Amino acid sequence: MKEKKIKEKINWKKEMALAPGYIIVGIWVIFTFVLIGWIILASFSTTREIFDGNIFKFATGLHPENYVKAWKTQKVSSYFMNSLLYTAISCTAVIILGAPAAYVLSRFKFRGNGLIQNLFATALGIPAIMIIMPLFSLFSQLHMNQSKGLVIFLYIAVNLPFTIFFLNTFFRNLSVTFEEAAAIDGCSPMKTFWTIMLPLAQPGIITVSIFNFITIWNEYFISLIFANTAKTRPVAVGLYSMIQSMRYTGDWGGMFAAVVIVFLPTFILYIFLSEKIIAGVTGGAIKG
Amino acid sequence: MKRKLSSLMAVLLTCAMVLGGCSGGATESNGAAAGGESKGEGKSDVTLTYYSMWNETEPQGQTIAEAVEAFKEKTGITVDVNWQGRDIRKTLQPALDGGQEIDIFDEDIERVNKTWGKYLLDVEDLAKKSYDTTDGKPLTDVINKKLVELARSLGPDGKLSTIPYQPSSFMVMYNKDIFKAAGITEPPKTWDEWLADCAKIKAAGKTPITVDDAYMASLFGYHMARLIGKDKTLAMVENKKIDDPAVLTFGQQWQEMYEKGYISKNAAGNIYPAGQQEVASGNVAMYLNGTWLPNEIKNSAPADFNWGSFAYPAVGKDGDGTNANQYGAQCFGINKNTKHAEEAFQFIVFMTTGEWDNKLAENSIGVPMANDAHLPKQLTEAKAVLDATTIRYPWAVGMEDVADINAKIKTNFALLVSGKLDAKGFADAMKK
Amino acid sequence: MKTKNKSMIILFLAPSVLLYLMVFLYPTVRTVVMSFFKVEGVTDSVSLWKFNGLGNFKTLFNTPLFVSSLKNIALIWLVGGIGVMVVSLLFGVILTSGVHGKSFLRSVIYLPNVISAVAMGTMWINYVYNPDFGLLSSVLKSIGLNELAATQWTSPEMVFWSMLVAYCFGMVGYHMLIWMSGIERIPVDYYEAATIEGANVFQRFSKITLPLLKGVCRTNIVLWTVSTMAFFVWSQLFSPVNLSASTVTPMSYMYELVFGASNSAVTVRDSGAGAAIGVIITIVVVVVFMLSQFIVKNDDVEL
Repeated sequence: MKEKKIKEKINWKKEMALAPGYIIVGIWVIFTFVLIGWIILASFSTTREIFDGNIFKFATGLHPENYVKAWKTQKVSSYFMNSLLYTAISCTAVIILGAPAAYVLSRFKFRGNGLIQNLFATALGIPAIMIIMPLFSLFSQLHMNQSKGLVIFLYIAVNLPFTIFFLNTFFRNLSVTFEEAAAIDGCSPMKTFWTIMLPLAQPGIITVSIFNFITIWNEYFISLIFANTAKTRPVAVGLYSMIQSMRYTGDWGGMFAAVVIVFLPTFILYIFLSEKIIAGVTGGAIKG
Repeated sequence: MKRKLSSLMAVLLTCAMVLGGCSGGATESNGAAAGGESKGEGKSDVTLTYYSMWNETEPQGQTIAEAVEAFKEKTGITVDVNWQGRDIRKTLQPALDGGQEIDIFDEDIERVNKTWGKYLLDVEDLAKKSYDTTDGKPLTDVINKKLVELARSLGPDGKLSTIPYQPSSFMVMYNKDIFKAAGITEPPKTWDEWLADCAKIKAAGKTPITVDDAYMASLFGYHMARLIGKDKTLAMVENKKIDDPAVLTFGQQWQEMYEKGYISKNAAGNIYPAGQQEVASGNVAMYLNGTWLPNEIKNSAPADFNWGSFAYPAVGKDGDGTNANQYGAQCFGINKNTKHAEEAFQFIVFMTTGEWDNKLAENSIGVPMANDAHLPKQLTEAKAVLDATTIRYPWAVGMEDVADINAKIKTNFALLVSGKLDAKGFADAMKK
Repeated sequence: MKTKNKSMIILFLAPSVLLYLMVFLYPTVRTVVMSFFKVEGVTDSVSLWKFNGLGNFKTLFNTPLFVSSLKNIALIWLVGGIGVMVVSLLFGVILTSGVHGKSFLRSVIYLPNVISAVAMGTMWINYVYNPDFGLLSSVLKSIGLNELAATQWTSPEMVFWSMLVAYCFGMVGYHMLIWMSGIERIPVDYYEAATIEGANVFQRFSKITLPLLKGVCRTNIVLWTVSTMAFFVWSQLFSPVNLSASTVTPMSYMYELVFGASNSAVTVRDSGAGAAIGVIITIVVVVVFMLSQFIVKNDDVEL
């Protein structure tokens, strides 16, 4: 991206040829803005205004108290903290477990290497529907269902295969000269990994972590089944339960405020890191 | 690069420590929930686990949360409420099967007794005792007798295994101001009167009735029972064949409703709660719905909304009259594996009598359980309907008992009231 | 040195492999076994299982709702897939053709992906598809298409398509990124050479871009298959109270079967049949994966 910084002189002939493209993409982009803009406006309106379609008029003024209500009475704060906890811990643990595994798989030849790599690759295609039932049964026998520790455990396990898969390609693209030099200096392979290779893999780790962050932050199905209590719900399930209770209390302004609160962290993260995220998506998927 | 790494590692380490701390915390709280087995005299230190059908944010949830505090103050018993909301329909049973410690749970009276019957503790004996909020009488004497009877008849082996609360009934809820403006003085009792009133409402520039996907099955069930009676209607569900000739009559009558513009043009596409929002906005006069409707739309309806209610009109000579209606309640049940049956029942009594019974009703525009209950003004007409009710319909007159039938009703009724199917097409599609 | 490596390999791999065995392999095997048994509750111990042969599969295929769910998922996969692939490829091509503000546009198009589906779905239902003041009906009204504007977008005959459009809208950005990364790997001189020889935009696209994108195309199909088979939240959002024939998917049907119905009715749970649904879906994924391998041969062009 960076080499494009110098502004080219606008070539009108070229731009004209691109006009249809601009129009199509432009409509799409405007549409996206309208959708998200509507959510934000609705979050400052009252239920009556939303259902009468009058949110653009603000006849009764802005209603920032929706946010206060959502944060306090709707327990968004608690869901938010849960999500933060789940994502922070799982993202970290996934790297701590996944990076060494990916490194070993990418660097060492041993029996079963290919098999293990294939195993992790197939995990990407196993639908959640195949694994949740036995896990549910297992953990309820262990009396662990609906606990925070369990969701974190599951998020780690479920996101490991992709992380390993992604970092595997990343390590493979790193030159072996680093390790050779370290070996000459008498550095053990283990130490080489922690002090040299892991830092070198930093860009890859950051990319995959951002990707994991967004996946876990928005995760729905696993937490619906394994963490569906007022104390353990993360934001996505919390939001759904709020929408459900909204039907019985009819506070739609508060609900959209909750929606905004929920999508804000990912949105802000996205604004600052969209290049990285995009790199993560394409880098991870392309070899699939 | 080195510095970056060390800061990264610092972050990782902190997070790992949080992880350790967190999992420690989780076991701790588990320990607390599982503990408290010792029974004390006087002030108890028992902890009950209550899986609640409410969300903490609903008026009922808020009231229960307050009651839990008051209960603890009075008895020393801690009630650990697990706010499940309506997700309890999915979460309770696996949790009970998995042996999770749950003492009390609640939901609709039919669901708790029929679907969850095998987990219930028989409370006949506990209910015969008197408690400090029952004036020295047995609990069953001070709460709504009709509902106690209902709970008993639904209970496993005909034993009272649940204590009802939050009574409700299903009838036509309407906007009295619209009726007045249209010049209707008396709510309709027969289908002909109904049609005549619809015409007046339409002439007054309002839409007579609406529905959405949540209540279509109920509407169909009610209307069929008014055409051919409750037993024949339930038999159709039992045989999984919606093939009575009267289905065609239903189709014709609602085709007419559509053609004359009596049913909201949005009805086919309404996704719950869009139907009741139309009532709240004052554009639609009537809705066949529960007595909980005033509560559910109090935020979007004007504060002075003038509520009225009447029983769904009588339709055919072979069908039921206006004395047949669905009524029911939510109810509390106790897990048969509980170690604290008495304490759990004490809490249930606390919730269903006296101060908290009234508060719960007041905060949710609902009906208290006490026999001499005072009803909120929104429901005065509903009480008359309920008092005149002698035949009880099960929920949706059985139409939701089979997921396939319910799905079929939703699809075809929506097509019928948007003119995509005629009466014959509707009857044929329902037969399939 | 060798043994050192060995212990390191074991130490580094063991946790991940163990987690994999516990969370992927064991459950998958158990679910497959379970699908041949009559099992009521999901937590029932194995001693309560009764062998049922292919009974679960037979029951499923005789249940209209399940058949609808298969029909729905097939349409989502095929029609939605074609739609998403075409639109995302189109956007990919436009964005890589040298437009200004490429990274901005790319970010905005990908944006819906980072927002919770629950939030997006609520917005679509309550705003875009609202028949009274919704975006769609007001836009159609303003361009004079009053008849079309009166459409009930969430009525049974339309709700499936409305749901599909809402879902696909969010997916376009993701697949566009994958196309773009493929397109950007194509050496620019290919195009320059073609332009010199007088090839127009469309010729360049069909003669250079498309053939070189086969591998990326396969990736896209596999990713699309995996994500659509897990189609669940949107179905729940568009039929919030209970299952509808037009929005049910295998996943949402399984959720009802295994964990209990949301209707206030007496419905027997059937976890065995739920497992059978899982098996059916997995077979579909595997078949699609193999077909895509077969159709778009791996060795064609390695990018």
